[in-house]
Amino acid sequence: MPALVGGAVAGILSGIPLLNCLCCLWIIGGAILASYLAVKDSPVSLKASDGAVVGAFTGIFAAFIRLFLSIPFRAVEFALFRKIMERLSEYVPETPSEWKDIFSLGAGPISMAGLLLGLVLSAAIFAVLGALGGIIGMALFGKKTAPPGQGTKNETSQDAGHRQS
Amino acid sequence: MTRSRILSVYLATLIGTLAWLGAIVLAPYLRSRGIPLARFLYFCFSSVCHQIPGRSFSAFGYPMAVCARCLGIYSGFLAGMGLYPLLRGFSKIQLPKMKIFLAVSLPIVADTAGNLLGLWATTNVLRLATGCLWGSILPFYFLTGLAELASRGKKRIE
Repeated sequence: MPALVGGAVAGILSGIPLLNCLCCLWIIGGAILASYLAVKDSPVSLKASDGAVVGAFTGIFAAFIRLFLSIPFRAVEFALFRKIMERLSEYVPETPSEWKDIFSLGAGPISMAGLLLGLVLSAAIFAVLGALGGIIGMALFGKKTAPPGQGTKNETSQDAGHRQS
Repeated sequence: MTRSRILSVYLATLIGTLAWLGAIVLAPYLRSRGIPLARFLYFCFSSVCHQIPGRSFSAFGYPMAVCARCLGIYSGFLAGMGLYPLLRGFSKIQLPKMKIFLAVSLPIVADTAGNLLGLWATTNVLRLATGCLWGSILPFYFLTGLAELASRGKKRIE
């Protein structure tokens, strides 16, 4: 569930034109959120590796959501890019003409194969970025403080997870 | 956790990082030579970056496959990979202190927020620098989590 929520937040924010200017930071942020939710729901301390798993799933969910969002927003995004290009050429008269070619790379109708390829690639990349965000999230929120006199349930574990230096 | 396991996770991550950064530079090179693979590379990076030319550095006459801030984050990641053996070694894994993470995150958060809210517009060099600073701490998290995960997987198999 935390991965679904984090993935939904990351997928929506990274798929909306203008807001997507934060690039991969949304995926990392969504995974940090998922880690926070996982820690909140868990009675025991979670470790960095738990964060990696939660984050990777968050990234995969985010890729699916972003894909579905990208279909309606595609036209809007290209119109926006074209506008930015026009504004840019007003201020920088010597804008390289080759730059304009970049916009043609993703223009045109989307094929089913293109969609599937995009999904697989995004899912793989987002899973890695999500794992990173999940680990950061666990480092930030993973350590549970126990009532005085009781240790945290994982306190005896010497696996890296929560020792910070 | 064995030294060899940490080392293998480190080497795999290093190879992945070099390939990732190489592809970012390779995309404009291939585009300048008219090689169709460029289209695929730009497409791959479009899922993680807006690729706005005005916010990207150029190479070989074309914008790189990611924006200046993203390039900074990935370059910083590589720099962090270089620092890792010197600061941590391969005998143990440890997460960085939270205050260090907050300190290196502050510039990128402030700069990004200021740009988003329209308070100021920073240059690509500053975007690169803030991204680089933030990216340099990321391997210390990534390697810790992955090495721990690899160790867990190994224990399960045994």
